[in-house]
Amino acid sequence: LQVFDDEGKDVTPHPLFHSDPNTPVPRQGKLLAASAYFGATGSSFLSPLPTHQPSGVNASLGSFSRKRSHLLTSYDFSDMQMRQEEIKEDLTKEDLDRRVDIYLTETETICILDMPSVVVSAGSEDAGRVLERNRNYVDICKKRPGNDRFVDKMMQTINAAAKNKEAQCDKIILEDKGVMATSWDLYDSFHVSEMEPVSKAEGSRATAGKSSKSPTTKEHDQTVSLSSNRGSTTSSIMISESSVLARIHEEEKCHSEAILTSEKFQQDLFFMERILMENIFQPKLAAYRQFPVLTDPDATSNTNGTAAVMKQAKQEEHDSEKKDKEEQKEAFIDPSVLSDLSKTPEEIVPPRLERLWAYVCDLTTGHSVSSMAWSKANLDLVAVGYGAFDFKEQKKGLACCWSLKNPMWPERIFRCEHGVTALDFSMASPNLLAVGMYDGSVAIYNVRSRNAAALLDSSESTNKHTGPVWQLRWVEQDGGATGDGKKERLICISADGRITEWFIQKRLDCTELMTIKRTESKKKKLPGEKERKSEVLLSRQAAGMCFDFHPKDTNFYLVGTEEGLIHQCSRSCREQFLKTHRGHKGPVYKVTWNPFSSDVFLSCSADWSIILWHRDSQAPILTFSSTTAFVHDITWSPKSAFVFAAANESRVEVWDLSVSTFNAVISCFGNPREKFTSALFAKNTDCLLVGDGEGEVIVFELRNLAAPSSNQV
Amino acid sequence: AEVEETLKRIQAHRGVIATVVINAEGIPIRTTLDNSTTVQYAGLLHQLTMTARSTVRDIDPQNDLTFLRVRTKKHEIMVAPDKEYLLIVIQNPCE
Repeated sequence: LQVFDDEGKDVTPHPLFHSDPNTPVPRQGKLLAASAYFGATGSSFLSPLPTHQPSGVNASLGSFSRKRSHLLTSYDFSDMQMRQEEIKEDLTKEDLDRRVDIYLTETETICILDMPSVVVSAGSEDAGRVLERNRNYVDICKKRPGNDRFVDKMMQTINAAAKNKEAQCDKIILEDKGVMATSWDLYDSFHVSEMEPVSKAEGSRATAGKSSKSPTTKEHDQTVSLSSNRGSTTSSIMISESSVLARIHEEEKCHSEAILTSEKFQQDLFFMERILMENIFQPKLAAYRQFPVLTDPDATSNTNGTAAVMKQAKQEEHDSEKKDKEEQKEAFIDPSVLSDLSKTPEEIVPPRLERLWAYVCDLTTGHSVSSMAWSKANLDLVAVGYGAFDFKEQKKGLACCWSLKNPMWPERIFRCEHGVTALDFSMASPNLLAVGMYDGSVAIYNVRSRNAAALLDSSESTNKHTGPVWQLRWVEQDGGATGDGKKERLICISADGRITEWFIQKRLDCTELMTIKRTESKKKKLPGEKERKSEVLLSRQAAGMCFDFHPKDTNFYLVGTEEGLIHQCSRSCREQFLKTHRGHKGPVYKVTWNPFSSDVFLSCSADWSIILWHRDSQAPILTFSSTTAFVHDITWSPKSAFVFAAANESRVEVWDLSVSTFNAVISCFGNPREKFTSALFAKNTDCLLVGDGEGEVIVFELRNLAAPSSNQV
Repeated sequence: AEVEETLKRIQAHRGVIATVVINAEGIPIRTTLDNSTTVQYAGLLHQLTMTARSTVRDIDPQNDLTFLRVRTKKHEIMVAPDKEYLLIVIQNPCE
């Protein structure tokens, strides 16, 4: 750079400093010194500095002491120029190969922020001094107020200019949610947290109103407190119905299927059916229970008589309407009671059977009722066995358990291979029902389970009967040889002449108790009997039709045979009868001891007669014959020693011995087509169950039967 | 299958006017009424069931509603509520 003035003189300003490019200057020390020097003046020079060569630095250093920053800048500029030239000159090939020493050093620690601590460890050396200073300060502060040495003075701090900064965030979405915290809601929430750790899968089911069983996508919006949610969003349900209906059909299907097949639904249906029945049959059921049947002025059935039935139903919700009814009932009792009272002194109404209802359903029509038995534990449960009446046409049999609560459909249905001829409930284990069939096999069903298969079957037993089992019974036996307490045994009698006792072990097996041998009749010999006598060589066994154990002495029992004889036998004596009663001319269908007076028994037979016997006498005491029809079944009343019922072919008769021994007290005709085949008294009420040949079991209420005065014969 | 049978038997009973099964959202699953009546019954009875349940549980939180019967002049409405569904049967009990 050269400046010439007008005359051509070289007036280029001379540089004040001529740097010596050849002197290798130790860069390290100068750099350090320079940085230290410049650190004192200002930070702006620090950044360009490290890039300078030390020569430049030297120049600036030299000038700095004399001149200030402007000189420095000019020198920097010129130095830079010189430096650039120097750089060009120096970079030759040798320079590249020349070994260059690079020194790396650490710069001095630059303190950017220094915050001295205000806390001193108590263990340090300064601790004592600090503590003393603190104490002094505290003393000063204490002395300050009111002291002349201290003067309060106001000061104003400078308010620095405020700076506003605006920021914007994402939109905050707000949601409103309303929950009504009811006391049960709180209870539920507490219980959820308690039961969660126990077992999550079960706990969620056990707590009411929590997660549902079928996890579908629809449940995603149901929160934990389901019921409370519903309470607040019921209106939304109505509104969102349209949107709900627009959902995918597949989801709906699987969800509804899950509901329909759930067990709870089944149970609910079951209860609903029972309640329907109760509504339909309410007056009848009330009559069964011996409640006065009242009629409501509103022409709706009342709730009075069903109090007992309701307790059993267990499903009632006490809403306010019910309470109203109960109040109304009390008002009604008076008029009806009055009417009853007014009736009896005026007229003696003849006793009659009033039909209440019939246990019948589609399944049972067509079969004939062969036997009925009450459950020992639940007096409202009756088991009915169905089988074909005529031995010619044998269909598959049925054993049904009917309950009072549902007269239109049996509680349990057991289908059997052959017609059922006898049944009985066990006393010791009331869920066992023993069923005897036409082919001689015996099966035991467990009523508790809904399984329709037999628990035990005698078909594999080798000792099983070869003829139809006409009667079977569970009998309690006093401990015999084994010395155990009372045991219960199943005893059957069948047409093959054997009385067997069955054991329930792994398989159903039996031992023989007795065989009924034919005895020769010593009295009148009718032509029919003569034939039989000649047949005696063919088979020594007489077909047994029925038996009955003595109510008090369980070793002693009666057997009725097809020949018309009634034998008294004992368990201890297997071969022989103790006594034989003759009197019937036809097969004895039923033998029953009088439950009250234990030496008297009754027997009925196909010879159209019913005979009353005494245990010690050979000859009959009384004979009742009212019709020219087979008497299929007789049963003593559990309430009175004088009353028994008989099922003829065409009618049901109730005899009351205290009133008349010639005529039945009540005689009720059934349908001419049907034959009555069995009769059973109800134990807890004045009702009679009668089974007929069409598969119906009709429940009759005994009305106006004279009350028993004494129980002695 | 047994469920179907029982349901059919209930529907066939004497005096039963209608049987409706609705799920938790108020959609009828099974019904013997026309749609509008079913929907009406569903909504109203649902609310009533909720209120009844709330009442029962307020008195005793360990208790719960199992069945609800509403006797009216003309007939009787029986509701078996559950978490997932509502079983409604309307019966005319007079013979």
